[in-house]
Amino acid sequence: MNPPNPTTVAASPPETPPRRRAIRLPKDRHAIVDNFFRFQSLFGLVAVFLIAIAVSPSRNGENVFLSSGNLANIVRAVSEIGIIAVGMTFVILIGGIDLSVGAVLGLAAVGSATLMVDSGLGIVPTVLIVLFIGTAFGATQGAIVARLGIQSFIVTLAGLQAARGIARMWSGGLGIPIAYGEGPQEAPEAFSLLSGSINGVLPVPALIFLAIGVGALLVLRSTAFARHVYAIGGNEKAARLSGVPVRRVRVTVFAISGLLAALAGIIHAGQLNQGSPNDGAGYELDAIAAVVIGGTSLAGGSGSMGGTIAGALLLGILNNILALNNIDANVQLVVKGLVIVAAAALQRLRPRIA
Amino acid sequence: MRYARRAITIFALAALAVTTGCSVEKDGGDGGTDASAQCGSGKEFLIGMSQANNAEPYRQVMNDDVTTAAKSVPGFQVVVSDAAQDNSKQVADVENFLSQGINLLIISPNEAKPLTGVVKKAYDQGTPVIVLDRKVEGDAYTAFIGGDNVAIGKAAGEYYAKTLLPQGGKVVEISGLPGSTPAAERAQGFREGIASNPKIEIVATQTAEWLREKGQSVMDAMLKAQPDIDAVYAHNDPMAEGAYLAAKAAGKETAIKFTGIDALPVASGGIKAVEQGRLQATFQYATGGREAIDLAKKILVDCTKDVPKSTTLGTMQITKDNAAQAYTELGGKQ
Repeated sequence: MNPPNPTTVAASPPETPPRRRAIRLPKDRHAIVDNFFRFQSLFGLVAVFLIAIAVSPSRNGENVFLSSGNLANIVRAVSEIGIIAVGMTFVILIGGIDLSVGAVLGLAAVGSATLMVDSGLGIVPTVLIVLFIGTAFGATQGAIVARLGIQSFIVTLAGLQAARGIARMWSGGLGIPIAYGEGPQEAPEAFSLLSGSINGVLPVPALIFLAIGVGALLVLRSTAFARHVYAIGGNEKAARLSGVPVRRVRVTVFAISGLLAALAGIIHAGQLNQGSPNDGAGYELDAIAAVVIGGTSLAGGSGSMGGTIAGALLLGILNNILALNNIDANVQLVVKGLVIVAAAALQRLRPRIA
Repeated sequence: MRYARRAITIFALAALAVTTGCSVEKDGGDGGTDASAQCGSGKEFLIGMSQANNAEPYRQVMNDDVTTAAKSVPGFQVVVSDAAQDNSKQVADVENFLSQGINLLIISPNEAKPLTGVVKKAYDQGTPVIVLDRKVEGDAYTAFIGGDNVAIGKAAGEYYAKTLLPQGGKVVEISGLPGSTPAAERAQGFREGIASNPKIEIVATQTAEWLREKGQSVMDAMLKAQPDIDAVYAHNDPMAEGAYLAAKAAGKETAIKFTGIDALPVASGGIKAVEQGRLQATFQYATGGREAIDLAKKILVDCTKDVPKSTTLGTMQITKDNAAQAYTELGGKQ
């Protein structure tokens, strides 16, 4: 579908959004303001980190928040949401949403447990099959969005239900415990390393999150695929007219999201020694929250992977410091809600500087 | 796609760089913390209460029982966390408690297997652990306190055999979530209880998955299929209440007798339903909250070394005669 005269069509950025307000600043101050908003979540992360140090309880004269055990707990706790959020960032950048990730996580956790415990497969085939299932599930959703033109909200809402249903059927509705050993009905011992730590300090899931995050960061910085993603999110029509393979990119993006959700599900099963069909319920919302706090616009076309990683860490630190200070569970929910709104509001204030 | 290839290469190298040259270890108790503060009277103790899901009324009452009981022990401070039915969240909750250096952990686990590791970690560090209602695997905990659902079902069955339907009759059973242990045990115990009266017949069993609204719709259907039902044995109070509503809509609420299980001392609970005449009886499924604090007091204040590893809570039969009194006794607020 090539345009008759490609030279007249601009790909990206398609059009400059209208100015929200006239901010007259000298040029270098423009840069400061712009950078502040661009790295909003990073500043937010640093601020929350410093506040957490300040308000942390201390124990035997030691700052509880800063203790190595506690920091390890934080990165361990955010790693699953973080990995999902990385995939979600791609989806949101093209102007979509993926509500199925929590359910795919549950499906993958059930798959990991069943394949190893009941089917007696080794770790490598199990992981490959589960990752394939997640990828195929995501790609199918992407294909439905791309081919039939149904909104991704609806397609992935349906996908959420379907993935939960499949997980319940596969597991018989109950969690499948994973016991380790050599015998039948036992999983290889090495799988439990997912709940271990590197040199006793860095939890394995956090390391995987780090690797995925850095990988995604580089992909989003320097590839043609990334430019296509931004172009579709910015203005789909213009992107299509300038030769971006919109459908293929769509399918790829949802496949990545499904793949990463499945990866998080494998980690989930390894950490908890169980695959349960209800695992990951509501995780999609935490992942979306991390992306939004990271400054990615739900309208698509603008945002960064670094922001998402910072957003996930910020949420993790927030959860941790609220718990360490024994803030009531109900109040914690309200505080988290306020932080998400604040992050989104900050984005609205961002001056549009041409 | 030259860029894509380059990116994948960078990605692979980065992944390789961070994963090589490190040894992976399984996390065990590092033993570095001194969680087991000296026991004795006149000291301050921080107790962490890790709840699986505050949204269930039964678990909210359990929290209330724990916090209320702890108020009467000088030096006890209780902090409650809510895992909102998420195993991962509950693991993190317990980790956070351990970071804070709690003196004792009370945990009502969401599921056994996923929580076993972190409970063991706490126990191995020297933090006494009291497990409530649902068990964890193995024996790396200080004490378990829980109800006996078979005994509760049996008590209900005996009440049917001797008091409610001594002449016999047709009973329908509305059961809890299929596959859940309490549902299976409450069904089994009931059958043992009614065995002494062969004239009692269970004419139908349907599940309502513990839910009031499902109790109502299931009863709707059974009223059409079974014209003369004498009584409804529901595995919990909300389902019994739902069934009552269905019978009321059909004008049969006085002809049929309803019983439930749980007897929570809250306004929407079974005790009030008995007091107000909707249910004939309900059978208490104790939360164990008070008993947990009693045990905590023995461990932390009285320095008792050998506390019972397992405590089974009894049940209480609640009928119109004792409902008002039981409500106050179990700590219900008027």
